Amino acid sequence: MESILKLRNVSKKYGDQEILKSINLEVEAGEIHGLLGENGAGKSTLLNILFGRAVIRETGGYSGEIYFQGKEINIKNSHDAIKMGIGMVHQEFALIPDMTVAENIKLGREDVYSLTERLLGSGLALIDKEKNHQSTQMILKQLGVDIDSRLKVLNLSVNFKQFVELAREISKENLDLLILDEPTAALGQDDVPCFLALMNELSSRGIAIIFVSHRLEEVMAVCHRITVLRDGEKVAALGRDDFDINHIAESMIGHAICQAQAQTRNISGAIILQYLNFSVDMPGEAIENINLDVYKGEMLGIVSLSGHGKLALGNGTVGLYPSSGQVLLDGKKINTAEAGQAINSGIYLLPEERREAGLLLKHSILENVIFSAVQQKKRFLKPSIFPPLSFIDKKMSLSYVKEIIQHLDIRCHSPRQEVGQLSGGNQQKVCLARALAMEPHVLFIAEPTRGIDIRAKEIILEKLLDINREIGTTMLIASSELGEIKRICNRIVVMYEGRIFAILPSDCDDIELALALSGERLESSC
Amino acid sequence: MLKGRQNAAQIIILFFLGLMVLLAWHSGLSNTRLLNDSLVRLFMNGILVLSLLPMLKVGAGINYGLPVGIQAGLLGMCAAVNYRLTGISGLFAALLFACIGGVLFGYAYARILNLLKGKEEIAGIFIGFAFVFIMSFFWAVAPFSNAGMLWPIGGKGLRPTIGLDNYFSKVLNKLWVLNLGDIILPVGMGLFFALLCLLLYAFYKTKIGIASTAVGENENFARLSGIDVERIRILAIILSTVLAAVGICIYAQSYGFVELYDAPLMMAFPAASAILIGGSMGAGTSIIQVIIGTFLFQSVYVYTGPIANTLLLPEVSEIVRVIIVNGIILYALLYEGRREKA
Amino acid sequence: MKTYRLVPLIFLLLSSLGLVFSEMSPSFVINEVITRFIRDGVLVLALLVPIAAGMGINFAVTIGAMSAQVGLLVVIIMQYPGLAGFFIAGFISLLIAMVLGYILGRALNRVKGREMITTIIIGFLGNGIYQFIFLAGYGTFIKPLNQEILLSRGIGVRNMVDLISYRNIMDKIWMLEIGSIRIPLFMILLVLTFCLLITYLMNSRLGQQFKVVGQDINKAETLGFNVNRIRIQAMVISTVTACLGQLFYLQNMGMMNVYTAHQNSDIFSAAALLAGGATIKQANVRNVIIGVFLFHSLFIVSPQAGQNLFGNAALGEYFRSFVAYGTIAVALIFNLREAKRAVH
Repeated sequence: MESILKLRNVSKKYGDQEILKSINLEVEAGEIHGLLGENGAGKSTLLNILFGRAVIRETGGYSGEIYFQGKEINIKNSHDAIKMGIGMVHQEFALIPDMTVAENIKLGREDVYSLTERLLGSGLALIDKEKNHQSTQMILKQLGVDIDSRLKVLNLSVNFKQFVELAREISKENLDLLILDEPTAALGQDDVPCFLALMNELSSRGIAIIFVSHRLEEVMAVCHRITVLRDGEKVAALGRDDFDINHIAESMIGHAICQAQAQTRNISGAIILQYLNFSVDMPGEAIENINLDVYKGEMLGIVSLSGHGKLALGNGTVGLYPSSGQVLLDGKKINTAEAGQAINSGIYLLPEERREAGLLLKHSILENVIFSAVQQKKRFLKPSIFPPLSFIDKKMSLSYVKEIIQHLDIRCHSPRQEVGQLSGGNQQKVCLARALAMEPHVLFIAEPTRGIDIRAKEIILEKLLDINREIGTTMLIASSELGEIKRICNRIVVMYEGRIFAILPSDCDDIELALALSGERLESSC
Repeated sequence: MLKGRQNAAQIIILFFLGLMVLLAWHSGLSNTRLLNDSLVRLFMNGILVLSLLPMLKVGAGINYGLPVGIQAGLLGMCAAVNYRLTGISGLFAALLFACIGGVLFGYAYARILNLLKGKEEIAGIFIGFAFVFIMSFFWAVAPFSNAGMLWPIGGKGLRPTIGLDNYFSKVLNKLWVLNLGDIILPVGMGLFFALLCLLLYAFYKTKIGIASTAVGENENFARLSGIDVERIRILAIILSTVLAAVGICIYAQSYGFVELYDAPLMMAFPAASAILIGGSMGAGTSIIQVIIGTFLFQSVYVYTGPIANTLLLPEVSEIVRVIIVNGIILYALLYEGRREKA
Repeated sequence: MKTYRLVPLIFLLLSSLGLVFSEMSPSFVINEVITRFIRDGVLVLALLVPIAAGMGINFAVTIGAMSAQVGLLVVIIMQYPGLAGFFIAGFISLLIAMVLGYILGRALNRVKGREMITTIIIGFLGNGIYQFIFLAGYGTFIKPLNQEILLSRGIGVRNMVDLISYRNIMDKIWMLEIGSIRIPLFMILLVLTFCLLITYLMNSRLGQQFKVVGQDINKAETLGFNVNRIRIQAMVISTVTACLGQLFYLQNMGMMNVYTAHQNSDIFSAAALLAGGATIKQANVRNVIIGVFLFHSLFIVSPQAGQNLFGNAALGEYFRSFVAYGTIAVALIFNLREAKRAVH
């Protein structure tokens, strides 16, 4: 059987970073092909390329060849992809909330009054709303879904929305390849089997399916073959007979680099931070009903797949996103409604988007480092009659910054150099310096080594350890670098679908960690 | 011009001005006198353009709602004239009233704009326009007692143009004048303008000024540092409004007339154009850019008048100014916006 | 959500009060309103498609209006009278409107998210260029074939140009008289036909494309739509419709005020549309019809009401200008605020 889709040496670079490295992939007609991988593995990029998303074109396109039904193709935009017969069920549904189910499903292919179409052409043909509804009801019936096609999508439950999203794609007559991006993530338990059965039905009709999911059980149940991506490379290609959940999970995270830094630290039993039924409404990363005790002086790692909530705890505590439930610092309740509150109490957040939210790129190192301390702690200011209008004490701030540049080894010409000109690693150090100037008791750090070269990564991790040792700052580090987390943290909180799935010691088994990330537990006997 | 931030608009304007200078020389007009005029007009209009700076720096865009602040200034001057206050003290009384009005109007304006982050410019245009007509209503019915301000016939409602000759017309212009041959330097007015520039410069070195700059450059960053973004924006907008009120007072005393009713309707656009010519780039705009931009812009005004007259097309000069003003703003919208996206 | 049912009621209240205070005869007002409905109805219709396509209020409808005037001026300069001349003028105007609409669309595709402020500035700029061409160009780089419309100094078109050979060409057809109320049926039917055409358009596949782009431009692209092309089409349709509207207006007036006939047409059309209950994100033909009636009634009675109430007609004029700008300001505040709430 000839493959419907063939990728040969497909690569993609964003700037200097190689996100996809020479991917080879083949999917045959009627095959359900699972695509697995961690955050940053390259899955989304691959999907974006296959579906012609604008971001690919805008960042320099891709290299390598893609063959569809035997012919080499160049997908320039989503319109091309759709015309060729590629359909996509998006993770964040591509549904128009204010339009009805029928309108959404028939978008671009509405039923019209044929006379108007003949006279005026396809674009100006008058839509026959009744016929649209009837044909939509038929499509939905075939799916086994009972929804009134006249309802507006915004009034539907997430479950139903998922099915509408699917219906739109499979009702396209020329569909040959269907890409499903986390299609079961939003479904309730009862609907998953139905969905998987639908997939099997489509496959028996000859439609090739690429199934992207983090739910290993489901993937293994329904796929014919599985490809695992890691760090932009294809690290495993498994046929049905080779499906083994431990093997799969392990290949997803690779071997954690263990440069033994095992610190047996004596963590006193004192609890510094306590979460009681804490929920954060962070779009795309929400968490629910978190109950967690954080010990004074510990370094706590928080890990999850992307979108499963590791970033939400810090962001919610500091008040960037709405939250509910209670947070207690040293036994006292913190008001998480505004960012200022947490900071006043000695909690500080280093955001994951360093360039977007962590720095004032056009300002100097000096200005960045002292910024928060000036605004919140009123440090580095000359005394003044009218405090809000006080000026910076240049001598004091300069000497402090010079010291910290040395301490953290920030490579720069001078403290007055524009932060935007520094390398990623040094920029991160400036962020750290700014946090230190605040003398926080609790420090939340998100993705401390993202986008930083290897040497700088080591330095930053070391500095974090130093700070924890010397000053005793409690740190909560959210990261996707599992090896680093295992190295420097005492405990690791694994989040899955917005809740705490497990709290593991840092010297836990790699496989246990990998499984936990996918919401699976180690079988007691293996 | 500074920091190598050349944009096409600046180059075109410089070219255009170069052309004008040549034409003027060719037609026998005195370039010295014309440039002198530009300088005086810089001092006269500069504060209005300066008033755009606080809102730009805090990330609220160009203040097309300038008429709001202008109305506060007009109110201040009418109050001063009503109480027959003259001379420098009269001007300062007007400024005081204007500032009070500016704070009040500015606060209300700021509360509304805080609801519309990202769309302040378009909303500002219409808030400004609508406010002009609310105030027109007010000018027509308000109980001012100074008969010289009212319509001669009927005696109710303010005149559209109130002459300041008996009050404080040109008091600042005439304060400490330096005559150097052909050139007349109104040192008093210049110093006043310079003083405001310096005060603003100092403001941005203070704790609150720094916070304001941060909010404009990166709102998330500011929030993460615990800054109350809403309050800082309100402060910046009030500052802009007060400066606008002051600016119109200086303008009016130099011009010699207080112009009411729909005169302030389109005043935001030349100011916007001036700051854009100066090379303004959103929140990174500087005071130097304000000064250069205003000077270049006023020079265009100063030159197009007499040249148009020489070519026997007097009304055309006004139309050419409209084209230049809006052309500059449109260019900035189409091309600066592009850069921000990238 | 409820704001846009409230707005027409407020306008109804204000107009009624105005009618009472102005002591004008209802039939006079109705006649005036009918005339204005014919004159401005199509111009307001021009705003519908860009709103549906998510581009907000197209303040550059003045460009379309100016195209109409250019067409007429060309025909007058070349001296082609009568119905034939009018059709040639129409043809030229529409051609210009299509080209300018295309350019507008390209420009607005560069400023997604800031369309409204861009169209206002483009309107001002276009106005300036148009005035420059006819004030400084006629007699210099345009040969003054028609000496009648030339200013005495030899350069520039006069302020008022007579359209006598085209005046009321269509107006008087099928005039219906009920008492003192005169209803030009042909013209009303013509305007209603345009209403139907726009309604048809919005219910066609193309109309659906506009709506998708208007609802969520990113999703539209993911769903395979060429959003840039669709937005350009929206602007072309809007500009051409505005051009037609202005042609109706001018043939009704019989005289063209060369430099000001099109001014404020954007503001008043927008205000009328909003008065009819439309919002920045959603507008339909019903809003157009109701809005034109309500807004223009208020417009007509305000000066006289001002005179009777305060002894000052100017107050009535300030009031109605305030209503026009104020309606738009309030609509902006409400719509843009709701957009913010949806994100959180």
